[in-house]
Amino acid sequence: MLNEKRFDATFVFRIIGIVFFAYLFLGFMVVPCWNTLTSIFREKTASGEADPFVVIRFFLAGNMKNYVWNSLKLAVILVITVNIVGISIVLLTEYFDIKGAKILRMGYMTTMIYSGVALVTGYMFLYANDGILTPLLTNAFPGLSKTWFTGFGAVVFTMTFACTSNHMLFLRNAIRGIDYNTVEAARNMGAGPFKVLLKVVMPTLIPTLFSLTVMTFITGLCAMSSPTLLGYDSINPEIVRLAGSSSADESFPQARAALLSIILAIFTIVLLTVLTAYERKGHYLSVSKTKARLQKQKINNPVANVLAHIYAYVLFIIYMTPVIMIIIFSFQSYTAIRLKRIDFSNWTLINFFGQEDFEFLTSRGTYKTREGAISGVFSNADAVGGIKMSFILSAVAAALACVIVVVACNYISKHKKTGTFLEYALLFPWLLPTILICYSYRSYFNTETVWYVGNNNLYYADNVKLLIIMAYVVTKLPFSLRMIKASFYTIDSELEDAAKNLGSSPIQTFLKVKLPIILPSVLAVFALNFNALFTEYDMSATFASKYGKTYAMVIQSMTMDEGLYGYNVNASGRRCASTVFIMIVSGIILWLVYGVGARDLSERLEARKRRRERFAKIFGKKKLTTEP
Amino acid sequence: MIKLNDIVVKFGDFTALHDINVHVKEGEFFTFLGPSGCGKTTTLRTITGFIEPASGTVFMKDRDITHVPIEKRNIGIVFQSYALFPTMTVYDNIAFGLKLKKLSKTEIDQKVRDIARKVDLSDEQLAKAVSQLSGGQQQRVAIARALVTSPSIICLDEPLSNLDAKLRVQLRNELKKMQKEFGITSIYVTHDQEEALTLSDRIAVFNKGYIEQIGTPNEIYNHSATEFVCNFIGDINRLEDGIVAELNKRGADLDPTWHHYIRLERLHVNKMDDGKHFVFDAMVESSEYYGLYIKYTINAFGQTLKVIEKNDGSNPYTKGETAHMSFNVKNIMSYKPGEDADA
Repeated sequence: MLNEKRFDATFVFRIIGIVFFAYLFLGFMVVPCWNTLTSIFREKTASGEADPFVVIRFFLAGNMKNYVWNSLKLAVILVITVNIVGISIVLLTEYFDIKGAKILRMGYMTTMIYSGVALVTGYMFLYANDGILTPLLTNAFPGLSKTWFTGFGAVVFTMTFACTSNHMLFLRNAIRGIDYNTVEAARNMGAGPFKVLLKVVMPTLIPTLFSLTVMTFITGLCAMSSPTLLGYDSINPEIVRLAGSSSADESFPQARAALLSIILAIFTIVLLTVLTAYERKGHYLSVSKTKARLQKQKINNPVANVLAHIYAYVLFIIYMTPVIMIIIFSFQSYTAIRLKRIDFSNWTLINFFGQEDFEFLTSRGTYKTREGAISGVFSNADAVGGIKMSFILSAVAAALACVIVVVACNYISKHKKTGTFLEYALLFPWLLPTILICYSYRSYFNTETVWYVGNNNLYYADNVKLLIIMAYVVTKLPFSLRMIKASFYTIDSELEDAAKNLGSSPIQTFLKVKLPIILPSVLAVFALNFNALFTEYDMSATFASKYGKTYAMVIQSMTMDEGLYGYNVNASGRRCASTVFIMIVSGIILWLVYGVGARDLSERLEARKRRRERFAKIFGKKKLTTEP
Repeated sequence: MIKLNDIVVKFGDFTALHDINVHVKEGEFFTFLGPSGCGKTTTLRTITGFIEPASGTVFMKDRDITHVPIEKRNIGIVFQSYALFPTMTVYDNIAFGLKLKKLSKTEIDQKVRDIARKVDLSDEQLAKAVSQLSGGQQQRVAIARALVTSPSIICLDEPLSNLDAKLRVQLRNELKKMQKEFGITSIYVTHDQEEALTLSDRIAVFNKGYIEQIGTPNEIYNHSATEFVCNFIGDINRLEDGIVAELNKRGADLDPTWHHYIRLERLHVNKMDDGKHFVFDAMVESSEYYGLYIKYTINAFGQTLKVIEKNDGSNPYTKGETAHMSFNVKNIMSYKPGEDADA
């Protein structure tokens, strides 16, 4: 409070900060999205007259409505199926006493290490009309068509199992937070395990379930990779198609894309407003101070018990089959993958690092060879390019988002009134579907007339990388802010006072006292952001630029038919290897975040001590032997 | 040493401190005592510089420090939560202030180890994380950190309030011992009257932003300046009109419009009549047995009074017995009722 100089470095920093955040908020959130909104009303009719409502009339008259209905249908069905599966897997692993729950849980959690394009292409590898399990399934169920894994059914099937990660995270935490004494009390008063579940456990889970339902609904509405790859006409793939179309082919495609993205935004905003209003009412899981840990409930009825076990393991098989199959086939030879038959005598790393010549029969009956055409992920120029691109873009964006949010949080924690404004500005992108942001960037910056980016066309050539980074940063701000702000609030204000009292300046206090405290959370947020962006598909697909071809887009192109004449050869093998690679990267990141990163100083010191002791043991012994 | 002159602190429209005047002498253990929200911590934070007073001055060794920044005041603080930096080892916590002063490494090392020895922290403990230490050890680290920069004064903001009862008493004694050894001027904030009485050379009792009384523990306890102080410190009996009237009949000369109090241990039920005491018959309503002493609830002239007697082997009374209650009228503290009477 007592500063001798008011117009010092701190003041300059503040001005720079205000200008920067204003630039970010107005230039990269408000203006481009506002432009998208207004572009709907700037179209002309076929006769060339300005008509603000021509696009909306077109929308109401034509079949464009179907895309919205399809998305809504998907969202509604997913809310039902994802909740059923999500609640089942959490209850089966956390509430009921099911044998092998630990292994089951690992299976149910596999969606946390691969999702989006990696997961959908994995499912396609199994179930598409040339999938490895399709013959097996069509034999088992004679009515099943070879092409069953396309369209609405396939999207629902895939997303039902792909979108349970949030249940595994949040519902699991909620159920573990239940005070077991309340369960015991109910049992003591004569309620059976299912009665307890219905009357005592479920009511405490309702707030969490409500949030999960809203999140699932939004996921369904904004679905991108599944409908694109599996062929379902929902809003997002249509926006991407329209954005790449020209008015020579159809009527005002740009304005129609804008209209669809605004419709999506309206749905999202309404849903999130409902959610926040609901959450603001405040729900408390437990009022007791001495919580007892939940003990698993044995299902007493033997028939129900057997059925529950069967159900649990069927789900487990559905979750695990793609993972196991993909891992196995990623180590199989080109021939084995083409024949869709596992060759147990021949294991290879070719899908990762190898290269092999490809020999094929031409139409003239002669054999031709393409050198090194069968290549692995890390020896294929396209794939390596995509990995590099995604790695750099996501690392830069994840780091930028963290830095911006840390600086902002430091300000928010000190300034109540202006801080709130800044907070809402950074949370703003949360209301907007990512596709709206990306589409807006793509259309708004695709000129040389935007003065505040120096009249550069940011959608032109390599500039698009910048645009992708900005989109990544902006869409990751809300999540980063929520996480890092929470950790800022754990800092005891007396620590800051103590540092000041010992003679440290505000900047020294920030760097030496506060930053080390929040650093684990910041690194965790960085890692989670990186993890999400590294395999991100929705945004780069919206930009659809060959200058910003990300890893996910490369993986998507691996689902295209493999040409018999040596084009796209071994794409299936690379696809499997890619999924395995992604699982490893995500697995390591999650382990670092939740395992290693969660350690505090005392645990790190203990670990160091143990390492030293071990080292001293080895080193000491060596010393003994080398001494004369 | 430290002088607060007419300090006024305002938070918006609310005046937290009204004309606070305190003079802490060199080497003194001075305590700010009062209920929560009374302004004692605000006063401390004004001394350390976290709060700038609306008016008034703070002098340290005859130098006006009212507008000197926090980091340049050279006042050590031990916080309520200790505020030890969780990401640093014990050693780094203590060395933090020295590093900011840009001392050489050897100098820092020497000073840290020096102070660590004085507060009884081993080399092994210095290498540990703060969270690996017990509450008592953490307190010693906080004190070492506050003292290592050789401040001219040390402020302690309820440093014992986070601890359990047994540890609190133990650390209280350690604190007193250390203060004596270092001989440093100390300002101590607490709401615990027992802590204040046992530790302090002098006490300032705060209430609603005013200082009610400054004095030695004995003065505060036995000669409370205001009705608030006599009620806040220790347990006390208020004498109701019936007893006051009876006493005046016997020539006590108490003003019936005033409030009169007597402490529990100044009432007796086991004392022989020596002529100096007033003696009444009182009925024992109940007794609580504490071992060290016995607390009786007795009834005299329709009023319930509490009495403490040392458990010295005299006959304990049981419920319903009649006891001879006696006390010296000099021990009655009388106050003219005012607006601020919180009786």
